[in-house]
Amino acid sequence: MGAIELEGLTKHYGAVVGIDDLTFSVEGGEIFGFLGPNGAGKTTAIRTLLGLLSPTSGTARVLGADVRDEGALVEARRRVGYLPADLGFDEGATGEQILDLHGRIKGDSRREALLARFDPPIERPIREYSTGNEQMLGIVQAFMHDPDLVIMDEPTSGLDPLKQERFHEFLAEESARGTTVFFSSHVLSEVRQVCDRVGILRDGRLAALEDVETLLSRGGKRVRIRVEGSLDPTDLALPGAFDAESVGDALAFTYAGEYDALLSRLAELDVIDVEIGEPPLEDVFMHYYGEEGETDDEGSTARRAEVADA
Amino acid sequence: MLEFARFEARRRAKGTAALVGGVSLLAASFTGLFPSIERADVDMDAYVEAFPPALQEAFGIAALDTIEGFLAVELYQFVWLLLLGLYFAYSAAGLIASDVERDRMDLTLSLPVSRTRVLAEKFLSVCVPILALNAVVPLVVYASVVAIGQSIDPVDLLVVHLLSIPYLLACAAIGLVLSVLADRADLAKRAAIVVVFVLFLVESLAASTENLEWLGYVSPTHYYDPTAILVEGSYDLTGMGVLLVATLALVFASRHRFVRADVGA
Repeated sequence: MGAIELEGLTKHYGAVVGIDDLTFSVEGGEIFGFLGPNGAGKTTAIRTLLGLLSPTSGTARVLGADVRDEGALVEARRRVGYLPADLGFDEGATGEQILDLHGRIKGDSRREALLARFDPPIERPIREYSTGNEQMLGIVQAFMHDPDLVIMDEPTSGLDPLKQERFHEFLAEESARGTTVFFSSHVLSEVRQVCDRVGILRDGRLAALEDVETLLSRGGKRVRIRVEGSLDPTDLALPGAFDAESVGDALAFTYAGEYDALLSRLAELDVIDVEIGEPPLEDVFMHYYGEEGETDDEGSTARRAEVADA
Repeated sequence: MLEFARFEARRRAKGTAALVGGVSLLAASFTGLFPSIERADVDMDAYVEAFPPALQEAFGIAALDTIEGFLAVELYQFVWLLLLGLYFAYSAAGLIASDVERDRMDLTLSLPVSRTRVLAEKFLSVCVPILALNAVVPLVVYASVVAIGQSIDPVDLLVVHLLSIPYLLACAAIGLVLSVLADRADLAKRAAIVVVFVLFLVESLAASTENLEWLGYVSPTHYYDPTAILVEGSYDLTGMGVLLVATLALVFASRHRFVRADVGA
């Protein structure tokens, strides 16, 4: 049984689609990234999983509890930690009072250890907190009862890079202890660093569900060549190559075809220098989101065809 | 149990203390005014007669030349019935709506607690200032009355406070209903003030309008009459029952709505 199982989960707000027919599951112990731009429906999905919104149709189970069954879900939430995107702690209360309240309700066996690691100024009232400190308090609160499943909505927004790094390390450790982690993000580098699998959400629908490796390979390789003489991007004549552009005296393109074909084509050219590397993650992302707001050149048409084949 | 109620009550502790302090001061100063009014040798009966019937009804104006009648009007009809009724409706209207509006409810409801429990405990937290006021202010009033050399029946004084508790709870319950209906806290709070004030007016006008007396039955003010208690020593226990039943009904109605509603959608 998966830690989270969605079956056709749908939430409409009147005529507006929040999420539409989401079906996937998150396995126990994995770190699952839920990726998509703002407005794609990530928060709607998360809030429906927690029982804050009732599904329009379909359902989901969280640690075996149907989200439509409040009693079962209340029980399951003993083993769930949640870090919302907007924490909204009571501004007049101190961090300590908030942890006390949450601790009395759900337990706080790991509170001290977490406070040693993430150190929000718990004796101070929330209104004096920086965004980062508030987020740290949110993290402590989400993990302090040693939950089996932690659901987080954009957990690293508001953390500086160093703290993000520490948080990612922490997530890897948590996962090693068997905690299932489900978090939403719109930052690809983060997902690449910490996730086992990724679900990509677009306009409320699941656009893809991939291992992180597959997601990266789907983006092809970034190839950069320098040849004797000049080579116009339009003269590259290589199926599977797209987004070709001249960069100084070099030609750069993204390549998602057969390697043999690439090497054969390179052999025909008088190559001075060649680099084949990982594509920027934003390019990978564009595979799923590239259709809108982009000039409809051949490259993107080719890419779309590939995604459709996949 | 009661973690939320305790948390809320503690969070409001300063506000509660300020409220109790302020109302106590007001009660003591009203009482302190009485000797000068009594000495003024005004024909109070004629003065009372001069008020239009609706106003006499609205503020329970009777026997202003006795300390009981004076306190009933100045303190209990005006401060308790009207101002505190409005205040507790206003205050309760923020209980759910402001947490939802500020996204605080998301985190609360991610805890292993039912919505019914959250709602009930939030409502219970309003009982703290209501009980505190009614525990402290009668002592202040009694001491002030004795201090100006007057006397007041301590049992009537206790009863006027005791019976105000269901009344104030009913006002708070009106606020609670609006708190689960409105998606913005300030909207809920304003609506709560309007509703309680309109009910107060309706009852006052209905009581002095022929064939419309029945309209007054919808207002909580109909079931709590400080003047009758202090001046005539008559206690409306049925009214108290009606207020308690109405409070429960309104809390259940709020629950009915809150357990089904999408939070902050």
